[in-house]
Amino acid sequence: MNTPKMPKEMKILAPHSFRERLSRRAVLKAGTAAAGLAVVVAACGGDDDGGSSGGDSGGDSGGTQASGDWSRVINKASGTLAMYTWGDYNDPDIVGALAEAELGVTMKVDYFNSNEDLITKLATSSGASGFDIVVPTGPYIPQMIEKGLIQKFDKSLLPNISNVDPAYLAQEWDPSNEYSVCKNWGTTGFYYDSSVITRELKDWKDFLDVCMNEASGNCSMLDTGPNMCGVWFWANGHDWNTTDPALLDQCEAFLVDEFAQHVKAFDSYPSTALAEGAYSISMAWNGDARQAYYRIAENGGDPSVWKWVLGAPETELWMDNYCVPVGAPNPEAAHAWINWELIPEISVKDLQYHGYNTGMKNMSQLISELAPDLEYGDMIFFTDEQVSTFRTQEITPAIDRLVDILNKMKAKAGG
Amino acid sequence: MTAAVSASGRRRLRGPKFALAIPSIVWYLLFFAIPIAFVVIYSFGTKDQSRLLPVDLGNLTTKNYSDVFDDTFFKVFRATLRISVVATAMCLLIGLPVAYFAAFKVSEKWRAVILAAVIVPSFTSFLIRTVAWRIPLAPNGTFSKWLSDIGVIGEQGIQILQTQTAVQIAIIYNYLGFMILPLFVALDRIDVRMREASKDLGAGRVATFFGVTLPLAGPGIIAGVLLTFIPMCGDYVTATVLGGAKGNMIGSMIASQFSQAQNWPLGSAMAVLMIGAVLLVLVVSALIYFVIPRLIGLFEPLAQSLRAARHERSVAAMAKLGSEPARVARVEPVRMAMSVWTALVLVFMFIPIGLVILHSFNGGASFTIWARNPSTKWWGELFDGGSTTAMLLRFVAIIAVALVIKRILAARSSLPPRSLNWVGPIGFGIALIVNGLVTDWFRDVFAFVSIGDAIRNSFLAAFGATVIAVVLGGLSGVALARRPGTWSKMFMATVFLILVTPEIMDAIALVTWFQRIADIPVLGYVFREGIGPFSGGISKLWVGQSLYASAVVTLIVRARLAGLDESLEEAAADLGATPARAFRQITLPLISSALIAGGLLSFTLCLDNAVISTLVSEAGSTTFPVALLGATKSTVKPFWGVGAVVLFVITMAALVFVARVLRRSGESSSQIAATLAGS
Repeated sequence: MNTPKMPKEMKILAPHSFRERLSRRAVLKAGTAAAGLAVVVAACGGDDDGGSSGGDSGGDSGGTQASGDWSRVINKASGTLAMYTWGDYNDPDIVGALAEAELGVTMKVDYFNSNEDLITKLATSSGASGFDIVVPTGPYIPQMIEKGLIQKFDKSLLPNISNVDPAYLAQEWDPSNEYSVCKNWGTTGFYYDSSVITRELKDWKDFLDVCMNEASGNCSMLDTGPNMCGVWFWANGHDWNTTDPALLDQCEAFLVDEFAQHVKAFDSYPSTALAEGAYSISMAWNGDARQAYYRIAENGGDPSVWKWVLGAPETELWMDNYCVPVGAPNPEAAHAWINWELIPEISVKDLQYHGYNTGMKNMSQLISELAPDLEYGDMIFFTDEQVSTFRTQEITPAIDRLVDILNKMKAKAGG
Repeated sequence: MTAAVSASGRRRLRGPKFALAIPSIVWYLLFFAIPIAFVVIYSFGTKDQSRLLPVDLGNLTTKNYSDVFDDTFFKVFRATLRISVVATAMCLLIGLPVAYFAAFKVSEKWRAVILAAVIVPSFTSFLIRTVAWRIPLAPNGTFSKWLSDIGVIGEQGIQILQTQTAVQIAIIYNYLGFMILPLFVALDRIDVRMREASKDLGAGRVATFFGVTLPLAGPGIIAGVLLTFIPMCGDYVTATVLGGAKGNMIGSMIASQFSQAQNWPLGSAMAVLMIGAVLLVLVVSALIYFVIPRLIGLFEPLAQSLRAARHERSVAAMAKLGSEPARVARVEPVRMAMSVWTALVLVFMFIPIGLVILHSFNGGASFTIWARNPSTKWWGELFDGGSTTAMLLRFVAIIAVALVIKRILAARSSLPPRSLNWVGPIGFGIALIVNGLVTDWFRDVFAFVSIGDAIRNSFLAAFGATVIAVVLGGLSGVALARRPGTWSKMFMATVFLILVTPEIMDAIALVTWFQRIADIPVLGYVFREGIGPFSGGISKLWVGQSLYASAVVTLIVRARLAGLDESLEEAAADLGATPARAFRQITLPLISSALIAGGLLSFTLCLDNAVISTLVSEAGSTTFPVALLGATKSTVKPFWGVGAVVLFVITMAALVFVARVLRRSGESSSQIAATLAGS
């Protein structure tokens, strides 16, 4: 599983199946009212990570240029550019020295921990938050538009959007990309120490079972209600966006009464703690799990005993997006930077750092030309077949309940 | 003095008794009472995600409260209480010998050293110290491997991280200093003659300690317990960073209602109940505190006969041996044990700081994971642009020249020595100017990578908030001590409420309040556009951080003045001084040490403020703890260690400056500690 190099046949996701996945989820089925219900947790996103040792040589893209027909427009800008994003989510050069050198803007980056934190920040500052770029997860975008928190792009300043694979454009939450453009997307699986857990794990059912047996008291789950509860729905073949009270009750009964006592931590970025030796199995976003390999090696551990398993039979799909908030002090620079980030060389450099697919066209060609040494590619790129099992989150009234389940689990685990 | 004189000759402040407290009253009304009232109202609302603020106040209900009263809340609350009570008790047990040792067993010089060692750790970022605890506690860490190599623990390493034990250790660590200080002050105040009398009357060391010393230290113990227990109950950061699933505390649960669940009504209801419960616990312990001595009194006859018996024995022994040698022989081991204990405690307090410094030289990509190749690359980033290096060099050169000039002048000129004291500061001033005008310099110093802004903002915010806290707290402290009345009870209740309100509730209250007042002409403008060169975000930070800090300053100043009678001010008034003049020339000098101590304490509190600051800050006003709290959710890079060390060095430089001023004004270390601890 932990192939150190990309397999020859690159597992780039197939645009078609991805597109279907994303657009099937009707966020706004119930019309505008539903948009308002959006709630919580988020999922998403995030992530981060770290760059680390793996990616930090990431500057390699600087020298080579991808072949083919790409738009590489760079609009100069000036002044300060403030971005509000998930922890450690860009190559430090791209939000630092390189941006200064190529665009003429000075970057300032602040971090939030959930989409709700982002929305609260924007909503309570009456358009004076001072941020120029924010990075919400897809399903949260409609409510942000409705609340007047993000502004329309000036598309003429984003010519490089033509570099993005059409599969990642025109998503349900923003059908003509008036407000948002894909930053990157990812999924969820788990990561375990095969020297401790000797049986072969294949899906979420195995995951839950191991956590309650061999790995009891030594496993971690994501710290967001819907994603964490998603495991139970996916393992049992239910739709994780369900609002059916009976299913939610079953989910709660299992997770709170039977499962919670086995959980060591609710940790959305387990890579560091994994390397510290805190867990023998962790539910994780793919990019963070990939970081864990580097962390473990750094700590003198043996990464080869760790195995990554993509969630099955179904699992999550999320996409984070660049948006410009209403009242952004420097929208020109924001457009210039986003446009610059869509240049393939920059985009791939960023990908090497955070380990998530940035959604450029012809990704397999880009990787082979720009980052032939990319490690653990199977944790970034997925086959068509795999993508067809991905499910996107919807914002439903059930989210309150899922957060409540998480809180109850925490109380139970600590009791 | 006669009635006639006091009636006519003395000019009194006109206006209401609380005149001096008016600025604080306005401040608390505007930024505490009204905003918090809204949050209390939210607790009766319903969640409505479609609104800009997700609360519908259309149909008020008490449903949130009945929702809170389920198992979950009580379980977490019980765990929180248990952790807080155990930690408070442990702080008391660990801290008491240290305070006792510092107060009775060492010279003034060593006393200053011990107190400094207790206070200094709190000037390192609270958050980075908490994160640093992950290093020794990690099962795969060096410490754990070493322990397992020497066979103390099994193969699997230390199994503490992400348990209640980890939270417990870190909480004890984080609050120990706040316990030792007031304990020391209380012990230090005890008249040595009381203890000597007790021993002369034949009481043993143990009897003296329990019969004389401990009761006299009562107020210090209460102060210490309050200073540690209340913030522990609302602690959110420690449990989040170290707790895992087993170490969940009520603070994080409330925070997750506000942020993750966006269920502000439920979160508000929880916060209101938590405040109530903490107050209840305090009332109950106050009752116990008053009841226990009376219960003990019931056993007094028994104790007396015991004491009498022991007295006879020791008299007999003395007669045999001669008292002096016997005493020395008995004292030394105890003293030894105490000095060892004190040393251990101080080492304990510096462990995380040492680790922060060490790991800022980590060659790896994660702060907590030591990559086995020490590297200065993270420090290198600091000096990347070269501007930091050039600036530091200019500084060092100019100040060195100034000092040389001072030497030369001192050796051969007839200038009075006092005027030479100005050579250093003048050199400093010239260095500032040479490094660009003050503002440019200020920007340049922090012009390293993004962390520089965070450090600069931290200082700007903490400094401004401290000034506000000292002015407000100073005035209201004087009013409370000198013009008490019915108003003062109300005011004290407010101050106390500010201290027990969980930070996340203040944060939500303020952030929504700022949004409400955005359109009010002057007030809104200040928070939207800022004041002069300071942005609106910085103004918001000033307000947010000043609340708790000003409450602390108020208590310290009040306590300081309450200990001094009013005769000096009265004399000034009798001699015809106007109230303003009496205040300037009499009262202000009296409280100056309290203001400085309160200012110092505020400054550290503000510098460490994470929760309120996270919510109210904006782009460009992010402080160090806000940025670090964001980073703790994913990977903390070693660079944060560098930032913490830089922050620490700058703070210490400022402290040394203050310490010199204090020393010049003739304060002893005990007095400084006394004012710091507010008693």
